[in-house]
Amino acid sequence: MKLQAPARVAGVLVGATLTLFGGSALAQPIKIGWLSSLTGPLSSPALAENEGVKLAVEEINAAGGILGRQIELLTRDTAGDPTKAVNFAQQLAFSDKVDFVIGPVNSGEGLATTPVVARAGIPNLVIGSIDQLTDPKKYPRAFRVINTNTQWISSANDYALKTLKRTKVAVIGDTTGYGTSSAKTAQELLEKAGVKPVYSVLIDPNKTDLSDELTKAKEAGADVIMPWSAATGLLARLLNARGDMGWDVLVVGHPALMASQTRALLNKPVYWEKTFAAGYVSTTYDESGKLPPRTQELVDKMRPRLGGKELDILFWWVAMGYDCVKIIEHAVTKAGSTDPAAVQKVLENTSRYDGIYATYSWSPEQRNGFPDSNMAMNVANTFKDGSFKLAPR
Amino acid sequence: MKADIEPRHGRTTKLAALVVAALLAVTFPLWAGDLYQLHLAALIAAFWILIGGLNLVIGYTGQLSIGHVGLLAVGAYTFAILAGTLGLHPALAVGAAGALCGLVGLLLGLPSLRLPGFYFAMATMAVALIVGEFIMANDELTGGGIGLAVPALPAPFDSPAGFYYLALALAALVTWFSWNVARQMWGRGLIAIRDNPVTAQSVGVPVFRAKLKVFVFSGITAGVAGAVFASLQSYITPDTFVFELSLFFFVCIIIGGRGSIVGPLIGTVILTALPELVAPLAKLGNFFYGLLLLAVVLLVPEGIGRVFEVIAERLRPRRVESVPVSPDLRRLARALGTQR
Amino acid sequence: MWSVIVSGLATGALFAATALVYNVMFSTSKVLSITTGHIAMLGGVFGAYFISGLGMPWIVGLLGAVVVGAAFGWLTDVLAIRRVLARSDEHLWLLSTLALATMVQQSVALWWGTEPKPFPRLIPQDFSAGIADQKFWLPIGMAIVMALGLELFYRRTMYGKLFVAMSEDAFAARARGVPTDRIRSLSYVIAGAMGALAGFAAGQLTFAYFALGLTLTLNGFIALAVGGLGSNVGALIGGAALGLLNAFSSYYVGGEFQQTISVGLLMLILLLKPEGLLGSKSIRAV
Repeated sequence: MKLQAPARVAGVLVGATLTLFGGSALAQPIKIGWLSSLTGPLSSPALAENEGVKLAVEEINAAGGILGRQIELLTRDTAGDPTKAVNFAQQLAFSDKVDFVIGPVNSGEGLATTPVVARAGIPNLVIGSIDQLTDPKKYPRAFRVINTNTQWISSANDYALKTLKRTKVAVIGDTTGYGTSSAKTAQELLEKAGVKPVYSVLIDPNKTDLSDELTKAKEAGADVIMPWSAATGLLARLLNARGDMGWDVLVVGHPALMASQTRALLNKPVYWEKTFAAGYVSTTYDESGKLPPRTQELVDKMRPRLGGKELDILFWWVAMGYDCVKIIEHAVTKAGSTDPAAVQKVLENTSRYDGIYATYSWSPEQRNGFPDSNMAMNVANTFKDGSFKLAPR
Repeated sequence: MKADIEPRHGRTTKLAALVVAALLAVTFPLWAGDLYQLHLAALIAAFWILIGGLNLVIGYTGQLSIGHVGLLAVGAYTFAILAGTLGLHPALAVGAAGALCGLVGLLLGLPSLRLPGFYFAMATMAVALIVGEFIMANDELTGGGIGLAVPALPAPFDSPAGFYYLALALAALVTWFSWNVARQMWGRGLIAIRDNPVTAQSVGVPVFRAKLKVFVFSGITAGVAGAVFASLQSYITPDTFVFELSLFFFVCIIIGGRGSIVGPLIGTVILTALPELVAPLAKLGNFFYGLLLLAVVLLVPEGIGRVFEVIAERLRPRRVESVPVSPDLRRLARALGTQR
Repeated sequence: MWSVIVSGLATGALFAATALVYNVMFSTSKVLSITTGHIAMLGGVFGAYFISGLGMPWIVGLLGAVVVGAAFGWLTDVLAIRRVLARSDEHLWLLSTLALATMVQQSVALWWGTEPKPFPRLIPQDFSAGIADQKFWLPIGMAIVMALGLELFYRRTMYGKLFVAMSEDAFAARARGVPTDRIRSLSYVIAGAMGALAGFAAGQLTFAYFALGLTLTLNGFIALAVGGLGSNVGALIGGAALGLLNAFSSYYVGGEFQQTISVGLLMLILLLKPEGLLGSKSIRAV
């Protein structure tokens, strides 16, 4: 009896402190920094990803937030400039003191900001594809959500060499940073598979006519053309030159081959045939013409926010943005807090987390979460409503 | 041209303002809000190292170089390669970056400085593009599209505050150099070249040599700035060194006012910090720089520094002292008399 | 081999047309405007906008593009040149035209987008025409027609002679009662219309792309410098030389050294013959 009073007082005191403490933490929002190139080059993917991110944040906040805390999204437009990206990364890390950083979209910016965010110890969801953006030792809290460049190139190479059984490859890159490094990686991976390209060239993305390069490729005996450039002008001119020449060689390469901007620049819609590109299981129609159910669900949710008509963008961008926020939700919920070390532990032990864009797995030695099994080859001219049909096996 | 004839109180106010500004700059790490602001200040200092040297070329000598981003890139990559890949001591690497860029400035200046204004501008722009191509083409050396990681400087400069002080010191050095050049007859010579090269030549100013010396100096400062900038960014890619950066340097100098040192310095501080403070401006970015440049050229071609001076004049007009002249006529007559 | 030559001549024709535009602007104002390349960009972009975007027939699109170009030329004169020339400072027009060029490029980027967009097919023609394709011959034809038109204009019309008079000695022209300001405005309007025409003709080659301006300013300038400032035939030759050099170098060496080679040409000519191949040595009164 005597103990009850002090125990009760202690209990009340403890309870009060906990509520005060916990209460103040409950009130504090979870800050997510979003580095996006909403203007400038690569703005189309960035704008689409932004829609996905915004939808996820709104949904989670409407359902009460993560662990009772609302998400505060701090969007910074880097305009494709690495100096601005570094400035904003510093601002988000030290001024705004965000709990997470998503992005940047642009690999060139990402290479500059990832070390900055890593130094501040903030978990970073990487959505650039260049392989060097993740490293378990240098950037222990950087987790990649998108596939790597190597995965794009390997899927395409496997399809061209093993499925289509081609042996004489022409590799085309452009003279930008992304183009030169991708073309180089493509050549290395081909040589590892025992194939030496019969023709390889780097083309200025604004070169007005590619019939000379294609003629050279034809003379070298190429039976498949593999372009690794994100420049829609270049890719369209490549397809135009192929069509104008009347050469029915197959083109297998970068996803930008399937983009609507490329299609718009084609001389004739039929030039889009016999073109394949690396894509994803999540945005591929099955034999009955249906998308994976979760993708379809997201498409239906997003459609009114994207104009209500048939989608003209690559839907995987939207899905990826959405997944980034959901991954943060998963990490914080499982870790019980936004403590960076705890979040890191959760993420690096995440196995098969089902997102919409992919099923992610990271490990203490592996920071690239996108599995090879979620890659798929798509047929370019089957574009409909943001997704594609599977390339014939 | 009024440095010598200023009234006393004008000079003391200027000196006071300078001392206050210097104190603020030196104590910045103590009262800065957070590391981000320190980073921004270090970036301004790094840019000023280049702009301070470029100011002599554009603001004083009137050579409109719009390709200095190429020299910045050469400096940055030289530092990254020497200090990173080859492991040289960073101080040596910084010096080498400056020296190499000075050499590039010499090689670029020799053929192009004789060309008239537009030709020279195009030549510098073209060289910046060539540097870009070179970086991309030699990817074993420069990392090509992927870029290079840049090592941090050794202690005590590896902390944000330490780095800031180094950048500040270098910027102060460049400011002092250019201020000395501007103040003395040499600087007047440069302004003469800008305003009327033919007259300058006829008065004995060694036009080509002066232009070349100033251009090489701007190359050296660009190289050092590149090294400092690279270390600050900790990772450089070719995407960083685009033509718009050259435009940015150019606009800083012009809006600050040609023929002044303080003006471009204020211009640099404002133009670097402004997009960070005003988010919509970051989106408009280059359009805003163009608009600002046009507005300044049309409305206040002497730069914003001049606006302040005009306002100062209005508020506190300089007293024009008139000293009555009373000649000694008798002495004059005597002197004239002895002339015969 | 022929396709390299033809595509080189086609891009060279666009450079030559830009050089012609430089010449027209220079003749009355002694100003080399950085906005020159952007006029052609506007011609291409607005041509595509009017024909594909608004669905107008191509002749209306052509006229619309020309009107836009002329308006931009006039704007260049009003904003960037008129007030600046009134002051004696030589270099300010470089700054003002640079500013205007940046502004127009960024506004087009914000409105039109940063990806190249398609330019419509003007004359019905099968796409397998190879080197006879209209995308090569429209710019080549247009450049030749423009050069001939300019020569006729200068020799046969009153206004043309006024241009020549102004380019030789503006003060003397003014003393003889020539309204130099209005003539200069007129020359900028004509230059704008020409540039837009060139951009429109080359649209199928370049696509409607906002970033064309600056590179065309540089390349058009190289064509001008090589051919000689003030010479229309020189502009054609300079443009053809640059275009062919680009085409052959990218055929044999690949795209990595484009700029280096073009600028190499420029520097070589400027070192050996600074006034260009057909330019006249200018002796300035001091």
